[in-house]
Amino acid sequence: MLPSMIEANSLTKRYGGRTAVRDVSFRCEPGTVTGFLGPNGAGKSTTLKMLCGMAQPTSGHASILGKPFAQLPNPGRRVGVLIDASAQHSGRRGVETLATSAQLMGVDRSRVEEMLKLVDLDETAARKRVGQYSLGMRQRLGIAHALLGDPEVLIFDEPANGLDPEGMRWMRALLRDFADRGGTVLLSSHLLGEVQMIADRLIVIARGEIVAQGTPSELTGGGPRTTVRTADGPTADRALRRALTEMEIVLREGPDGSLVSDAEPEQIGRAALRGGIALAELRTASDAASLEHLFFELTSDAQPETQTETRDLQEAAR
Amino acid sequence: MSATAIRPADGRPVRQSTKDVPPNMGRLIAIELRKMVNTRSGFWVPIGVAAVTLLVAIIASANHHGHDATFAHVLHAVVGPCAYLLPVMGVLLICGEWSQRTKLTTFTLVPSRRRVLTAKLGASWIVSTIAVAFCLLVTVLAASVLGHHPGGTGSLSWQVVGQTWIYLAATMVIGLAFGSALLVSAPAIVTYLLLPVVWATIAGNISALAGVSHWLDFGQTFSPLAQETLSGTQWAHALVTFVVWAGIPLAIGARRIGRGDLD
Repeated sequence: MLPSMIEANSLTKRYGGRTAVRDVSFRCEPGTVTGFLGPNGAGKSTTLKMLCGMAQPTSGHASILGKPFAQLPNPGRRVGVLIDASAQHSGRRGVETLATSAQLMGVDRSRVEEMLKLVDLDETAARKRVGQYSLGMRQRLGIAHALLGDPEVLIFDEPANGLDPEGMRWMRALLRDFADRGGTVLLSSHLLGEVQMIADRLIVIARGEIVAQGTPSELTGGGPRTTVRTADGPTADRALRRALTEMEIVLREGPDGSLVSDAEPEQIGRAALRGGIALAELRTASDAASLEHLFFELTSDAQPETQTETRDLQEAAR
Repeated sequence: MSATAIRPADGRPVRQSTKDVPPNMGRLIAIELRKMVNTRSGFWVPIGVAAVTLLVAIIASANHHGHDATFAHVLHAVVGPCAYLLPVMGVLLICGEWSQRTKLTTFTLVPSRRRVLTAKLGASWIVSTIAVAFCLLVTVLAASVLGHHPGGTGSLSWQVVGQTWIYLAATMVIGLAFGSALLVSAPAIVTYLLLPVVWATIAGNISALAGVSHWLDFGQTFSPLAQETLSGTQWAHALVTFVVWAGIPLAIGARRIGRGDLD
C-alpha cells in the first residue's frame, strides 16, 4: 500500500503517569478533509503535535508524505501547519512575519502579498504589529502562513477559534477548495458544527482514545432514527418511557432535552396515543442531528477538568 | 499544488522541484539575523547600543589627555556597552523564541533543532563582528574628529583588536549558552550577570579555591582581552573560562532544546 499523506500509527503519549493519547491510528488521503473531533483536553493538540514533530510519542510513530515530519527537507513547502495562531512575535508586523518565513522556505516574496490578499488582511492590517491583532486576525495570518509554501498537506488545530461566522464560512470554503484541488486537510475542532459541513471523514477522540472514525454516513448509520419531545416535561417523559417499554422500545436522552430512539416515528406516535401523552415534537432524526447525538454520546462522560489536568501535567513534566 | 514527483524507471532526467531543497546554513543564519532586528524591540536595541557607544567614544576621547591616552584605551572604553549588551542579546536570541512562542513556527519550518541552534551561534558571531567593526570605526572617528590622535594609530595593536573581537564573540556566546540552558530570559540574564560576582566572592573567601578563580572568573580572565596583548597563561585562563561557561550551559541547552516537547 502506498503511504498516506498523513499517517498516525498507534500513537501514544504519556506525561508522568497519565496517558494523554493512547494508541491513536488513522490515515488521511489526498482530496479529503478529515475532521478531528473531540472535547477540549481529549488529546487532539497532543496528537497533532506528534504528527508535526513538536512532541515525541512515547510509542508509535507518525509520518507525513511517507516520512517522519522531521525528515522532510523543507517542511514548509509540503505541510502547512497552524497549531496556535497566538504563537507569533507580538512586536513583528504581520507582513514581516510572512516575509521572514517566505525567505526561509525559499518562496518568492510576491507570494506574501498573494496570501495576505487571500486571507483578506489589507495593507493597513499587514503593517500592524501582531500584538495589535484580534484573535480572528491572528487566525487569518496563521492560515496565510500555513499556505505560504504552497503545501499539499494542511494540519490545523482549532482554526475556527476567534473567527466570526462569516470568517468561518470563508475558512470552510478555503479548505474545501484546497482538498478539491487534491490537497489533504486535517483539522481539529471541539465543535461538530464547525467540521461536519466540510469533512469527508470524521475521527472522534475522547479521553485520549479514538472512539469512532469514518465518513459521516458511516458514523450515523447506527444512530437513532427518531427524535421526540413531550409537551409536559419530565412526568410525561416517564409516562412515554413506560408506554414504550411495553413495546420493547428503548428511549434514550438526546441532546438539549430531547429523547431519541431507534424505533420508527409511527411506533412512538401510536404508543403516545395509547398512553394519552401529548407530543411537542416527533420527527425522523436528520443525519446532522444523529451525528450530533453520536458525538454527544461518545464524548459526554469526558470530565471537563481534563484540560487543566493535561496542562498541569505538562507543566510538571517540564 | 504540485504533484508528488514520479521517477521514471529508465533513468531519464526528472525536473527537480525546488520544494525539497532544504534551506542551507547561510540562509538559516540570515533568517536569525533578520528575526533579531525585525521586531519593535529588536529594531531599537542596536540603535540604542550604537548611540551609547558613540557617547562613550566622545567622553573617552575628550577625557584622555593624560599620558596613557592611547588609541587602545579609547577602544577599550568604547567596547564597554557592547560587552554588556551582546550577552543579553545572546540570551534573548534563544529565550525570545520561548517567551513569544515563535519556536512553534521556527521548529515546524526547520525541524532539526540543532541546526537552528547552530544558526543562532553563527548569527551571534556575525553580530559580534559587526559590533567590533563599529567600535573600531567609532574610535577612529572620535579620535580624528576631536583632534586628539591619542598616541596616534601607532598605538593600535591589531592583536588587541583581534582579541576584542574574540572577547565580544565569546561573551555573546556565553549569553546564548545561558539562554539555551534556562530558556527564560530573566533568570538567564540574572544568572549571567551574577555568576562572576558570586564566583569571585566564593573564590575570594575560600582559600582552596583561590587558584581556581584565575581560571574561571570571566570578569578577571576576559577583561585583559580588550586591553593588552595576552600572555600564554592568560590565553589558557580565557580559554578554560570560555569552555566551562559556554560549554556546560550549551550542552545542557542543546539537550533541553533537542529533546523537549514544544507547547
